[in-house]
Amino acid sequence: MNTACFSRLWILVRRELWESPVAFKWTPAIIGGFILLGTALVLIIGARIDNELVFTIDGIRLYAQMEDDQQRLLSAGVLLTIAALFQQIMFLVVIFYLAGSLYDDRRDRSILYWKSLPVSDRMTVASKIVTACVAVPIMFLGGIVLTQLSLMLIASGYGLAADINIFSEIWAPANPLRSWLLILYASLVQSLWLLPIYAWLVFCSSWAPRLPILLAALAPILIGIFQHFWSFFSNFRLPDYNILWIIVQRIGKGALPSNIEWEQINDASGNSAAFVPDADTLIGFGSVNAYLADPAMWIGVAIGLVFLAGAVWFRKRATDS
Amino acid sequence: MKATIHAEQLSRRYGSNVAVDHVDLDIPAGRIVGLIGPNGAGKTTALKAILGLTRFEGKLEVLGLDPSKHRDELMQDVCFIADVAVLPRWARVWQIIELTEKLHPRFSRETCMKYLARTRIKQRSRVRTLSKGMVVQLHLALVMAIDAKLLVLDEPTLGLDILFRKQFYSSLLNEYFDEQRTILITTHQVEEVEHILTDLIFIKDGKFIVDSSMDEIYERYTELMVTPDAIEQARALKPIHERVLFGRHILLFDNAEVSKLRALGEIHKPNVADLFVALMGDNYEDSNETSEAAA
Repeated sequence: MNTACFSRLWILVRRELWESPVAFKWTPAIIGGFILLGTALVLIIGARIDNELVFTIDGIRLYAQMEDDQQRLLSAGVLLTIAALFQQIMFLVVIFYLAGSLYDDRRDRSILYWKSLPVSDRMTVASKIVTACVAVPIMFLGGIVLTQLSLMLIASGYGLAADINIFSEIWAPANPLRSWLLILYASLVQSLWLLPIYAWLVFCSSWAPRLPILLAALAPILIGIFQHFWSFFSNFRLPDYNILWIIVQRIGKGALPSNIEWEQINDASGNSAAFVPDADTLIGFGSVNAYLADPAMWIGVAIGLVFLAGAVWFRKRATDS
Repeated sequence: MKATIHAEQLSRRYGSNVAVDHVDLDIPAGRIVGLIGPNGAGKTTALKAILGLTRFEGKLEVLGLDPSKHRDELMQDVCFIADVAVLPRWARVWQIIELTEKLHPRFSRETCMKYLARTRIKQRSRVRTLSKGMVVQLHLALVMAIDAKLLVLDEPTLGLDILFRKQFYSSLLNEYFDEQRTILITTHQVEEVEHILTDLIFIKDGKFIVDSSMDEIYERYTELMVTPDAIEQARALKPIHERVLFGRHILLFDNAEVSKLRALGEIHKPNVADLFVALMGDNYEDSNETSEAAA
């Protein structure tokens, strides 16, 4: 991609962010605000019950005495849980955004303005999917970073009050930089993993005469139900590959920080009851890499590209009427 | 020099309804062409085909490009206002300017600001909060700031007050237009554009009824305000249209001998609105109303 092309894509992505400030800017801000507000409430109530913070400080000291391994598990668990909350809401935001992406300007006729600019339809579609896959995760990462940073500063304040070494006991085990890099990497891989679903929404949005989100949801649901009954009545058994199940699995098995290594836990609990979780049980760079090696990932990407090509085809023919 | 717009047997049908019916068109550079027709005559469809916004049959070249295949390339040199108030409603004025500047290589922010300074539009305003007329002003400012070879205006001044309309057409003619550019314009407010047009096209039922330069029109059509006693004589010369104004009969002739008419009354250049009524009016009751409303 040359620079001119890239700068055009950049301004088009900024256009998307301008269009939906509530979804992309305010939503992460509000989630972060809620988490911080909840934390503050708990701390205030805690301070009332726990006179002179005796138990709180005791708890912090207890934490400081834990093995490094367990500290890492606890702090990474907290940080990744927060990130997961952001990302699950982000998934919903992206779904609604993409379903309207090529539909809203047809409905309000501003497509006539966009089409009067020397921007190819391919570029337009690309700007929507890049916004969903890259720009929105980065916006939400901003919210995650600010929230986590605030929480860690609060924790540090309490740590100082408890007279522990906040660098070796709080910041070092939490390793926020690694955590943010990991979240960024995981969310980009997650975007790629969900590309077939994202692209399907863009595709529906490019031609739907109205309610693109409903059409996008209805099509797989109807096919799934039909498949179910067809298989049941023709073979007296349920289908091996039901499209609905495939979609649900796709969404559920993504590279989200909350999707810890279930396989590892399953294996471990199958073998022995002595499974001890540690920080490596949580998602890490290695487990994200594993997604890139999965053929299912690339089959999905290929399907996604087909839908995107379809969206470009419809966009070419789209006008205001 | 290549024609700006060249069409052969251009057609567009919607089901059984033919919107544009095998028209040929040649518009060279340096023209201001008025495309005039009643509602539903196929004006907008023809414009959309030229802008690559609809499919069509036949051959069509705009600045040497096929608009259905190379819309994005074409838009480097063409700009259009396809209809009023189609600017994105969520956007702020500065955002639209920024977008157009970054995406259009021939856009001049300076020129745009010059035109905007004549209006009461603020940079921080959202399009949603602007009045309809202000949205049109903003869109016109954007379009006039683009150094394009072809400017297509579909009802550009709908919803604007008369002061701004006059100002717009005068800046269009004096500041924007030159012999390198072509302007294609449709409007119902015929009398406001007729003095700036160099060419006139009448379209009816998807066909071009008239396609000639204004000079040819004035040469071909003559309007006669008949003296009352000569009315029967004048009618014998087969006028194509007759109307009555303050008790005086006004007759319109196609290719008549001016010397003969001169004896029967006063001779005028016909105006486009009257010509429109004369040529379209007979089988088009409702179009009569439109053009009268415009007149």
